Amino acid sequence: MKLLILAIDSATPVAGVALLTEEKLLKEEFSNYKKTHSETLMVMIDRVMKECECNLDELTAIALSIGPGSFTGLRIGMATVKGLSQAKAIPLVAIPTLDAIAHNITGTKALVCPLLDARKQEVYTAFYAVGNTYPQRLGDIMACSPEDFVEAALEKAGEQGQDGFILLGDGYYRYREFFQEKLGDRIKEVPLHLALPRASAVGSLAIDKVRQEDYADPLELRPLYIRLSEAEYRLGKGEL
Amino acid sequence: MKDILILGIETSCDETAAAIVKNGRHILSNVINSQISIHQQFGGVVPEVASRKHIENIAGVVDMAFKEAGLEYSDIDAVAVANAPGLVGALLVGVSFAKGFAYAIDKPLIAVNHLQGHIYANFLEHENISFPAICLVVSGGHTSLLYMKSRGDLKLIGETRDDAAGEAFDKVARFLGLGYPGGPAIQKAAQNGLAGRYKLPRVFMDRNNYEFSFSGLKTAAMNLWRKSEKQGDANISDLAAEFQEALVEVLVDKTVRAGLEYKVNTLLMAGGVAANQKLRNMLKKRAEETGLQLYFPALQLCTDNAAMIAGDAHYYYINEQFAPLTLNAHPGLWSL
Ligand SMILES: [Zn+2]
Repeated sequence: MKLLILAIDSATPVAGVALLTEEKLLKEEFSNYKKTHSETLMVMIDRVMKECECNLDELTAIALSIGPGSFTGLRIGMATVKGLSQAKAIPLVAIPTLDAIAHNITGTKALVCPLLDARKQEVYTAFYAVGNTYPQRLGDIMACSPEDFVEAALEKAGEQGQDGFILLGDGYYRYREFFQEKLGDRIKEVPLHLALPRASAVGSLAIDKVRQEDYADPLELRPLYIRLSEAEYRLGKGEL
Repeated sequence: MKDILILGIETSCDETAAAIVKNGRHILSNVINSQISIHQQFGGVVPEVASRKHIENIAGVVDMAFKEAGLEYSDIDAVAVANAPGLVGALLVGVSFAKGFAYAIDKPLIAVNHLQGHIYANFLEHENISFPAICLVVSGGHTSLLYMKSRGDLKLIGETRDDAAGEAFDKVARFLGLGYPGGPAIQKAAQNGLAGRYKLPRVFMDRNNYEFSFSGLKTAAMNLWRKSEKQGDANISDLAAEFQEALVEVLVDKTVRAGLEYKVNTLLMAGGVAANQKLRNMLKKRAEETGLQLYFPALQLCTDNAAMIAGDAHYYYINEQFAPLTLNAHPGLWSL
């Protein structure tokens, strides 16, 4: 049976919806304009489905970018997807947002470092080695200051024998000057169309998981926040 | 005529709720997953924590609503959701889920104002409520008096200028170490106390208008407590009783006066604080004395629930007032 996957991303200011089979990206919508996801996402889904004359019943799975990212953005996407999948019993595939951004990159010896603006002077990041295959994540996803990121990236590149750094994602552009100053021409930038999360990459990463039926439990699935809420954090510190 | 079955979803504050109501009257299921025990450790509702719990609970709560009603997803005629007012991040979970669910089963989406839902809780239980009516909406977020010309025609005639009544209960309970939520905590402490041993002001503002203010009463209660603690004669039950009485007296007085002045036959009460026993008893007594017909919802329908959302939505369904896929959540909208 042919796989048909609807992929959704609303983790950052970008909203994206894509429909794909194993062989073909059928349609993709990408929006990085200031309208809120709650007003746009469902309309984008509807447009993608209608234009491809696709019925929800035909979907093999829905792939979702689960974070890290904006807490509210993540929940808008996840709640929408939970509603869709529950009503029609469509399996869900959870894809970490940073994995999807790293998936924009192929064939490089450089260390791939997707960065998302985490506010509070921090970024969400993880390191990926590409080599001759798809990007493989090296270690955990973390929230850290740009300074700590630079330190960790230098260490990781040393371990891996990698020289350059591919920095991408909105967290890179937010602190670009600082990163340029610290890492200079070892930074390789990517063209604009690869710099931010793409729903097509979320869907593409989901293909293998769908083949293996590596599905998320819709009752258990929750966003990958990485951070505690402010109140939980303070409670843990004994400030409340 | 065919029965109309509506799924209601409610996530405006700290309850994740789903319910199925038939023909706007018969509650087939009413599932509420309360987060009270989680927020207790923070001394009040933390918006981000509430939103996180909603996304964890929503799918299970909706599923349970269908199981309890003995229905399949495809059996319902519409999906209704509270989209204002409330905590915006919390509302968005319900709104987004409702959109996805309604879209998938290809049924209309209906947006319901949460406060209007509270008012509608009266109609779930009582038939033939006659209009015009005065409605007191009293909760942790609101203290408002409304003039209702008919079921859907409401006019705000007065509201609180500072704290909502429920908010004042919460703050004083927290100050006295009685816990959260404050309304039930103060009501419980007051049972062993006597109003009048402490003297707190009845803050009427202008006797001729319908505005409320509870911030001064709250401060007076806190000051009185500090003072009596110093004197060594502090009695928490007596203070709780006096505070409750001072707050309730003002609510009752202004509500009854509005009823008489606007020449209505009916008084309605709605919202979480409408579950307060003192308020229910006192308003009942005054309504009887003045010949006004009083209605209030059963205790479990006073606090946040989705049956009131599904019930209110029936009216929109009949009038084919459906929401678009662009529906958003609004924190403070009084769209009445
Ligand atoms: Zn409420």
